[in-house]
Order: sequence, then C-alpha cells, then structure tokens
Amino acid sequence: MKNPPASAPPPAIDRSPVRWLRQNLFNTWYNGILTLILGGFILQVFVAGLTWIATKARWAVISENLPLLLVGRYPAEQSWRLWLVLLLAIGLPVSIWGGKRRRSPGVGWIYAFCAMIGISWLLGGGFGLVPVENSLWNGLLLTLLAASLSTVLAFPLGVLLALGRQSSLPILRIACTIYIELVRGLPLIGILFMAQFLLPLLLPGDWRLDRLARAIAGLILFNAAYLAETVRGGLQSLPRGQIEAAKVLGLSAPLRLWLIVLPQAIRMVIPAIVGQFISLFKDTSLLALFALAELTGIARSVLAQPDFIGRYAEVYLFIGLIYWIVCFTLSQVSRQLEVRD
Amino acid sequence: MQNTSPTNPAPIIVAQFVHKWYGQFNVLRGVSLSVYPGEVVVIMGPSGSGKSTLIRTFNALEDYQQGTITIDGITISDDIKHIDRIRQEVGMVFQQFNLFPHLTVLENVTLAPMWVRKRSKAQAEAEAMQLLERVGILTQARKYPGQLSGGQQQRVAIARALAMQPKIMLFDEPTSALDPEMVREVLEVMKSLAGSGMTMVVVTHEVGFAREVADRIVLMDSGLLVEEANPIDFFQHPKEERTRQFLAQIL
Ligand SMILES: Nc1ncnc2c1ncn2[C@@H]1O[C@H](COP(=O)(O)OP(=O)(O)O)[C@@H](O)[C@H]1O
Ligand SMILES: [Mg+2]
Repeated sequence: MKNPPASAPPPAIDRSPVRWLRQNLFNTWYNGILTLILGGFILQVFVAGLTWIATKARWAVISENLPLLLVGRYPAEQSWRLWLVLLLAIGLPVSIWGGKRRRSPGVGWIYAFCAMIGISWLLGGGFGLVPVENSLWNGLLLTLLAASLSTVLAFPLGVLLALGRQSSLPILRIACTIYIELVRGLPLIGILFMAQFLLPLLLPGDWRLDRLARAIAGLILFNAAYLAETVRGGLQSLPRGQIEAAKVLGLSAPLRLWLIVLPQAIRMVIPAIVGQFISLFKDTSLLALFALAELTGIARSVLAQPDFIGRYAEVYLFIGLIYWIVCFTLSQVSRQLEVRD
Repeated sequence: MQNTSPTNPAPIIVAQFVHKWYGQFNVLRGVSLSVYPGEVVVIMGPSGSGKSTLIRTFNALEDYQQGTITIDGITISDDIKHIDRIRQEVGMVFQQFNLFPHLTVLENVTLAPMWVRKRSKAQAEAEAMQLLERVGILTQARKYPGQLSGGQQQRVAIARALAMQPKIMLFDEPTSALDPEMVREVLEVMKSLAGSGMTMVVVTHEVGFAREVADRIVLMDSGLLVEEANPIDFFQHPKEERTRQFLAQIL
C-alpha cells in the first residue's frame, strides 16, 4: 500500500440492553443460574423492605423526634450558634489547605486563628452569649461537632508527632514513636475509657474537663496517632531535591518546613485525611457508651420514650441513613480531590 | 596554580586539599581549585568522578572531612550561621530543576527574597518580573511549574537562584535532563549570564558551551582534578593522557 489507510471510525458497538444482559449475566449456564438465584434474592429483600417501609413501619417516632435527633435539646433560639460553629469548622481545612488557588498562606492561618477563637466563644458562651450547658448538645449536631472538632484539633498534634518521629533528636523521636505505636495498637473504645477515667487523674486538679470534653480528648489522642502516620507517609514521599532547592536558597530549617515541606506533604495526604475523618465520624457512635447523646445516644433515648417502645427498626434505619449520607458525601468529595490532582 | 584573572587578584572560591568520604569510599581525594570573581569555570569528567559532590561542597549541601573551602572570605564549617550566609551568596541550579510544584513560577522566584532577604512583596515581585523577562518566561509567571516545558522550568530555576542576587552561581549538569531541542534556550541564558560578569562554576558535557564561554576548564577523574586549562589548550593541546582519553570519548 502506498498511502497509509485513512483513519477510520471505530466499529459500532451494539449497546442494546439485551446484548448487555447476554454478555454479562447469562454468558454461561452457571452464570445464568447464579444470576437467577441472586436476582431472586435481591428482589425478595427489596420488596420485603419496601413493603415494610411503606405499610408496617410507624414513622411517627421519627417525625415527632426529628429536631431532637438532629440538634437535640439545644435551645432552639440558640441553635444558630451551632450551625455557625459547624460552618467555621468546615472552613478551617478549606481555608488552610484549600486548593492551589490560594495566593498567600498567611490569610488561611489568620482565618484559622480567628475561627478557633470564634468557635470557642460560640461554644463556651460568655462575652454577651448565654452559656449553654453541654448536656443539651445532642443528636447529629453533637456527632458532627465531636468529629470535626477532634479532627481539627488532632491535625496539628498529628503533624507534630509525624515531625517528631522523623526528628534527629533521639529522645523526641523515641517518645513520638512509642506514642504512635501504643495508640495504634489499642482499640478506640479503650482509649475512650482511659480518657474518661485516667485523664482527670493526670491533669492538674483545677483542669476540670467535663464528660464531653474528655471524650473529645480521647478522640483527638486516638486520631492524632493515625494522622501522624498518614502525614509521615507524605513527608517521606517528598523528593530530596525539594529540600535541597530550599536549602540553597538560604531558607532556614523552620522556613523550609513551613513553606516547602508541610504544604506539599499535607496536600498529598488530604484524601487520606478525609478518609480518616469518615471513619472517625462513624466512631463517634461509641460516645453513646458514656451517656453522651450524640446521634446513636439520642436514638437510644428516643427508643425509651413510652410512646415508641420497640420501634428499633425505624429509628436505627433512620440514623443509619444519616450516617450513610454524610459518609457517602464526604467520600465523593475526597474522590473529587484525588481526581483534580 | 595560575591566576587567570589578572584584574581581580583575590579568588572568591578557594578549595584546598579537599577530601571527602562516603563511608569507606573516597569521593574527593585532595581537590584544590580557585575561582576568581567574574570567571566561568567548567568542570568536565566521566560520570561518577565526583563533579556533583565537589560543587555541592561549595554551598555546604555536602560536608567534607579534610581540607578547607573558603567562599568570599568565609570558611565553610559546621557553623549554621556561616552556612546560611554562604548559601545566600551562592546560587545553584540542579539537573532536575527542583522547582516548588505547589507554588506558581512567580512565587518560586519571590519566595526566598521575601522570607530570607525580607523584601516587600511588591518589591520582590517587581524584581522577579525583571528576572523572568531576562530568562524569557515573563508570560508564564502565573502558571505552575508542571505546566511548563523542561527548558522553561530550568530557566525559571535560574531566575529563582538569581533573585537572591548571589555572587556565585553553581550549575550541576543543567541541560542533562532536557530534550535536545530545549538545551539551546537554557545555554543561551547561561551564556548571557556569563557575559554579565557572573562568577560561574558549571558541570556540563556541552562541549560547545565550554569552548565558547569557559575561561577555564578542569577535568575531574576519580575524585581528582586531572587537568586545568583554558578552552583552546584543553581541547587542542591536552597535557594529560587521561584528558585525551576523555576527549576521544565525547568529541
Ligand atoms: N550519598 C551518597 N552515598 C554514597 N555514595 C555516593 C553518594 N553520592 C554520590 N556517591 C558516589 O560518589 C561518586 C561521585 O558521585 P557524583 O559526585 O555524583 O559524580 P558525578 O557528578 O561526577 O557523576 C559516585 O561513585 C557515586 O556513586
Ligand atoms: Mg553529577
């Protein structure tokens, strides 16, 4: 042939559903049987579930307790404070590490600083705000609050632990390594018990943390160890040339860390950090064991109402749905973050 | 050693009998080299002969165990203060560019002037734009390094080093990682830099550049400086047998 063939369109593909079924579900006799059995089973579960949801379930337990499940007994006229806190907390990671568009990292840190002060003020009250006793913070709001507060606060601790584990000072390195490996070898529930009962013994006498604060402290201590390992992975994957380039420009060790190493290392591990937040979010259900009425805890107290005794299926299905919606949304967000880089 | 730069009697880099070991391996085996202000010294030699190691001792990226290295009157020791001062006077360009991928081209160039030299942002940016214009990257200032070609990245790296207003520039095989068609644009920038009177120590295999721009060429082999000559003598009348072998391989 003298001329190369002109580029031809790809051959048309038959995309009809019948063909898809035949190719994927009924391509052999045993695949066909499997398809029929599994299909029948799924259909059975699905129909039974829908029938129950539509006919037998009594959803009054949810509709009458909806505010309780979502924001608990927090005074309705004060609940704006909680939503504001949530917004500020979500803004923290976004402002500091958000995207590549940021022009000056300083702005992010100033925001972070102000947001932290704002959050403490809104939660703690005082200076013009009435204090709301934190036994009134319940439901989904408490779940979100506990999960985000403990992630945000565990973050700096995790970064410090990661740096400490790579430090050239042996004492620091060994101490951080021991902490990280100790915590990673313990179940969260054990850490939470220790935070409840050991922390008050270890802290100076006038540091009276309440039950919620101790639980959040436990989550922070636990999460920081895992974050440290994630961040360490990011630190190790940074090419050596980056640090050398920073050195030859005359940047001092702290500036190299702050301007070159951490921003890159942390950006690399953001998806992993979101993943960790998702599991932390689900783990907060353990706080119910300490009589803290987060989503799972408040569900149990709803089930204790005389009107709704025995409505387990409805309540647990509903809170399961809430956990799933939040986690699924977050994992989609994290996937977007991964795709963009 | 002859003084090839009669107008500037005091050398700005003085390395005397420098020895360095990696474990048991003697990478530098007593290297002595002086570089005078405004001079362009090209270091050639086979791979693994210690060229990178040598120039990396000039800004304390590598330490050394014996001998002395003095940069502009400051002797390189373990003293952190001295090391920071020396690094501010010595710019370096790497084979792999090593731009900061999370910063824009402009931010790459302004970073050190702002944080180390305490320039205001406006002033640092104005100076950076001049430098970017000089290396022909002005229109790419707001892009990220990943969006540029290798040749463009290397020119940004040169601008980034120049932004600290160094007295000396070190180049470690600056064109070896580039596609052939981009080598020229980088060499052109280096040539004009040499023309402006910058003191340069360049490790390279680019014979054309060495011939045209170098004041002196040294051949390094197995941790030793084997021959030191001006380009004409180096390429046409090499004194050492080792140099003749090396030239036979690369020419
Ligand atoms: N960090 C290191 N540890 C051990 N050996 C090294 C290290 N860096 C370089 N070397 C060895 O030192 C020798 C000189 O290396 P280098 O200075 O990079 O040579 P060149 O730049 O001339 O190719 C090589 O044999 C190399 O393997
Ligand atoms: Mg080399």
